Amino acid sequence: MDLHQISLKLQAGKAKDVKALVQQAIDEGVPAHEILEKGLVAGMNVIGEKFKNNEVFVPEVLVAARAMNMGASLLKPLLAAEGVKATGKVCIGTVKGDLHDIGKNLVKMMLEGKGLEVIDLGTDVAPETFINTARDEHCQLICCSALLTTTMGAMADVVEAAKDAGIRDQVKIMVGGAPVTEAFCKQIGADAYTPDAATAAEVAVQLCSK
Amino acid sequence: MNAFERVSAFLSHKEADRVPVYPILCGINRKLVGASYPVWSTDAETCANGFLKTLEEFPDLDCLVTLIDLSVECDAWGQKIIFPENEAAHPDYDNQVVQDIEDYAKIQKVDYRNSKRMMMHIDVIRRLAAKVKGKVPIVAFVFGPLGTLSMLRNQQDMYMDLYDDPDAVKEATWHVAETLSDYVGALCDAGADAIMWDTLFASGSIMSKAMWKDMEAEPMAMLAKTVRDHGCMNMVHNCGQKIYFDVQIEAIDPVAISFLFPPDDCADYAECKRKYGDKVALIGCVTPANAVIGTDEEWDKQCTDQIDAMAPGGGFMLATGCEYPANATFDRARRMIEIAKTYGAYQK
Repeated sequence: MDLHQISLKLQAGKAKDVKALVQQAIDEGVPAHEILEKGLVAGMNVIGEKFKNNEVFVPEVLVAARAMNMGASLLKPLLAAEGVKATGKVCIGTVKGDLHDIGKNLVKMMLEGKGLEVIDLGTDVAPETFINTARDEHCQLICCSALLTTTMGAMADVVEAAKDAGIRDQVKIMVGGAPVTEAFCKQIGADAYTPDAATAAEVAVQLCSK
Repeated sequence: MNAFERVSAFLSHKEADRVPVYPILCGINRKLVGASYPVWSTDAETCANGFLKTLEEFPDLDCLVTLIDLSVECDAWGQKIIFPENEAAHPDYDNQVVQDIEDYAKIQKVDYRNSKRMMMHIDVIRRLAAKVKGKVPIVAFVFGPLGTLSMLRNQQDMYMDLYDDPDAVKEATWHVAETLSDYVGALCDAGADAIMWDTLFASGSIMSKAMWKDMEAEPMAMLAKTVRDHGCMNMVHNCGQKIYFDVQIEAIDPVAISFLFPPDDCADYAECKRKYGDKVALIGCVTPANAVIGTDEEWDKQCTDQIDAMAPGGGFMLATGCEYPANATFDRARRMIEIAKTYGAYQK
């Protein structure tokens, strides 16, 4: 079958159609990794690029990601059976004291759209939770989100906790969120700041491949 | 010139003695009256005293904007609200009124007088008016109908609902708007000079221009008319990126827009001034987070850059692009005020 159809339906946010097409592709014997790459990831790449260029917006990204998840749920066991590994492993969370999650969720969706394995720690995440997860799960990257000027300081605590735990040279730390800036990223000693979710995913892939 | 005269000149797009200034000091005011956030945001006397004490401490401030938090309005529909000790109040995200897409039908027009938080805000305006009406402009801050609805659902689910059942969201938005219409009428009657609408969603950070027009432009036009019918002015606040000046001006016809980033159709603040400076007064656009990071010199430069880009000819108020951080010190607000008085002087 034409896997481009999966990509197009994903871009349109048609979750049920994506699920049906993915199932059809599986039934036709298309390898799971091919369905993932040429259908789902290809579609999310288009959405990510359009999001970055202000051609689509948050609602469109959310419905596309929902469609991706519907398709990916069918592929997951097959990918494991094929021995396909994620291109990197990331833990992500909104920092201590902050309950906002939509920005974090958008980044998570974009990361998954790039084929990264993502551990979502949720909101109000303590520095030690980021660090313990990164160490125990062998994550290459920690992504910290904050919406509030009152909570962005907790990102510095994550960087310090990574140093204290002796894993700072083993894990990269990305920061983002409305009040966060490049200057703040440098000030606290994090590795990368990106202004939007699509760019975050691109940078995350680079950091995980280092 | 007093603040009222200065702001009147600003709204008339004329140069006053200097650039007016208001670094959106709201939650931070609680510190001046020794109140916790929960007390400041629920007790009208404490809240009003916080604003008045801020005016005492900073007599060169040119207006008061009563941004208490974004969950004042959703209280009218019974949304459970959490009041943290040192943060702005917010909805209980685990217990929202609209749990499912079918629940939008539960959102009908309600009587704002049954909302403690709305009534508290009206009381704050009344207390401020009793003290400073005619001397310092009083601007009541109100979350727009779609924003209020998002506090009853949650933004992420509401965005997807806009695809799954836009009519349900639209109908609920209208019922919220009808309630807000009565509420803002009461705020105007209590002594507000203007209503500042938070139109969070009219921004490239969130949704397309077409979607905003479809979902919120008409309810906002109705609300803006209510405000004008009460003899008050409409202002808009939107701290998103690439906000939509054009469609908001078309729908709301505000006298001023408070913003953080250049609008979607302008490359920078100078272009914003050229394109919109004769249509609407501009308020902004210093990054509030810079009150807690970076150097004093960087902060000062951002203030002077804004003045350079938008003050010539009048119609510009120096301000933060969103609320000044509630847990910062007042130091950089003080610097901003001094810069408005010195660098921002028109009559040098």
